[in-house]
Amino acid sequence: MTLDRRTFLSRTALSAAGLSSAGLLSACAGFTGSDEGSGGSTGELTFTTWGTDSELAGFRRSIDAFKKANSGAEVVLNAVPYEQMFTNIDAQLQSGEAPDLFRVDYDNLGTYAGRGQLLNLEKLVDPSLGEEFTDAMWQAVQFEDAPYGVPHHTDTSAILYNKGALESAGVTSVPTTLDSAWTWDEFEAVALKLRADLPDDRYPFAYNWQQSGVTRWLSWLFQADGRFLADDLTTPAIDSAAGRAAVDFTASFFPRKLVPANSSVKSSVYASDIFFSETVAMTFAGAFLLPDADKLASFGWGATFSPRDARGGGDLGGNALVATADAKNPELAAEFLTFMTTRGPMEDFCKGSSLLPTRKDLVDRGIEFAVRPELSTVFLQQASTVRPADAEQVASPSMAQINTVLSDQLELAFTQGQSTEETLANMTSGIAEATAS
Amino acid sequence: MTQEARVRAPAESRPASPSSGEGPSPRRSRTRRLHDAVTGYSFLAPNLVLIGVFLFLPLVWALLISFRETNGFGDGDFVGLANYQRLLSDPAFWRSLANTVLFTALVVPLSLLAGLGCAVLMNSVLPARGLFRTLIILPMAISGVATALIGVLVFDQNTGIANKLLGAIGISQVPWQSGGTAAFISVVLVTLWWRIGFNMIIYLAGLQGISPELYESARLDGAGPWQRFRFITVPMVGPSTFFLLVMNVIYSFQVFDIIFVMTNGGPGRATSVLVTYAYERGFSTREQGYAAAIGMVLLLVTLAFTALQWRYSRTRDLVE
Repeated sequence: MTLDRRTFLSRTALSAAGLSSAGLLSACAGFTGSDEGSGGSTGELTFTTWGTDSELAGFRRSIDAFKKANSGAEVVLNAVPYEQMFTNIDAQLQSGEAPDLFRVDYDNLGTYAGRGQLLNLEKLVDPSLGEEFTDAMWQAVQFEDAPYGVPHHTDTSAILYNKGALESAGVTSVPTTLDSAWTWDEFEAVALKLRADLPDDRYPFAYNWQQSGVTRWLSWLFQADGRFLADDLTTPAIDSAAGRAAVDFTASFFPRKLVPANSSVKSSVYASDIFFSETVAMTFAGAFLLPDADKLASFGWGATFSPRDARGGGDLGGNALVATADAKNPELAAEFLTFMTTRGPMEDFCKGSSLLPTRKDLVDRGIEFAVRPELSTVFLQQASTVRPADAEQVASPSMAQINTVLSDQLELAFTQGQSTEETLANMTSGIAEATAS
Repeated sequence: MTQEARVRAPAESRPASPSSGEGPSPRRSRTRRLHDAVTGYSFLAPNLVLIGVFLFLPLVWALLISFRETNGFGDGDFVGLANYQRLLSDPAFWRSLANTVLFTALVVPLSLLAGLGCAVLMNSVLPARGLFRTLIILPMAISGVATALIGVLVFDQNTGIANKLLGAIGISQVPWQSGGTAAFISVVLVTLWWRIGFNMIIYLAGLQGISPELYESARLDGAGPWQRFRFITVPMVGPSTFFLLVMNVIYSFQVFDIIFVMTNGGPGRATSVLVTYAYERGFSTREQGYAAAIGMVLLLVTLAFTALQWRYSRTRDLVE
């Protein structure tokens, strides 16, 4: 666990301080912008993002290609640690010092759009731009039927498993197609086999819902074919048979010791860390963790699909790129956003960073990650389980408050024995309060 | 200053001759007072500006924000005392307040006692005391976040050193991260480890100011080690204790980094304190008005405790 955390922290620090090396990497750019040499637009844009080394290198290559295509344009990249990203952006927006562009996760996009902080791209981008993206991802950047960003990449969780631990427990095969993904019952049976085989200080699996990952719990709700917001996107809809099934099932992991007691939603222990340290035999993880797993897991491991219940479902990971409402050059900002989601830059970024594309053509054709390319298809297929209706709920402007409600109530259900009925009732009142404010 | 003023200044600064029977004239006296005041305020000005800009201005600003309902952007709407009324019916706020008081009640006396104990040891003829002093002071030199990350390593309930050591002596695993009481104890222990060094330094300075003659005369009068500690050391470090009491109470009420990194207020709200709760409200849900109201309550509670300590401390000004 520590090794991974240290690696992450040191990467972040290096990323912030070492953009020059990213620039060096960009010299080896593997794609060319579609408008190369056209002369194009002029002006300067400021762009704030966080990122791993490979993500920053990908951004730098895309920026260089944009500048090559628009010889009078300058894009200043400002890399900050993720932990400071949104408190900084909030403060900069409040003080009128915000960058022209920034990277934002889909949970937060609605919060900024709903508070008038983002540039409405409806009249600045080609009206057919939305057709380039999968329906769910284009939906994820909408607010009141207008686009407020572009879906730059996505990610979703699948299961990483320790091959030796599964074999030892008698689990000799794992699903290899999305259609044959474990049902909840099958997944539970695998977890119980592992529980019976593992010593007391090791556990069958960990789920990646810790801290800001609490939104990932919603995958269980979606798999049970539930919603947390009704069609009007303000009325709570979580108190349902699907909601009960999701809370019941996930809360039952703790007393049965299927997950470590310290892996609840408010824990400072991350699921991937305890997988790398072999405390758990399986973990739910996004594709972005594949490079870390490749370096840190000293055992044989593979990936399979998340379980399904009434249907398959996954979390809406990844990030959009947005322009701020007060961007100095809105046309150039929109042009940059469009460019970043053209096929070349997106494919290059996703391959290098182990992230999933949002463009239909890339999804259809498939991409291969630079690390463990054979696992790309697992994550690509898993991402197809995210439906537009799921995405529009997660993109709610109240999502930040809803996440706090989910975190508080799930923590009580998982660690304090709060009943499912009380948990759902509290979630309902909390979500209603969040969407009313 | 003009040449004439420079020439006249020494004469003005001389005291009036007692035999002359007359003091400085009222006009000269006023000029001198004015001059002294200007000089004094000139020296104070940099600090006053810093305190004004970085302490009082944000304080007033926070008070004004606490009367508004905000969503993270813009000025928000004036809601009067609504945020304070909401606090009264918010169970998470009351839990956080109770945790803050409990944390303070545990950490302050324990850290003072441990700090004084270490200082007495380090003030005696202890072999390699320089090394021990350095080891105890070391946590002070690193940030609270780094200390807390070390705390996470020690108290990780699956792979941490604490449970491995307890297991080695046959004690069952303690749920440091999933049990409310154990998690609270873990943050108290890490805070103590972080804070004892500072308390020891202050006490050490206080101890070295006590005259050895006091101990010698007590020994001649037949006082034993405990009596010398109880009736000489403890009262004579009274000013240090008072200073540390005030500082530690303030630090404890404002605890944030260690809890934020180690437990994030969990499990449940078992380790949530006022500042982590205010942070959660201010930055996660972007309710800065409500967070500011929590901050104002924290300020009032801290001021009240400090005033009580000031009023009832009998040894704060004790000198030989």
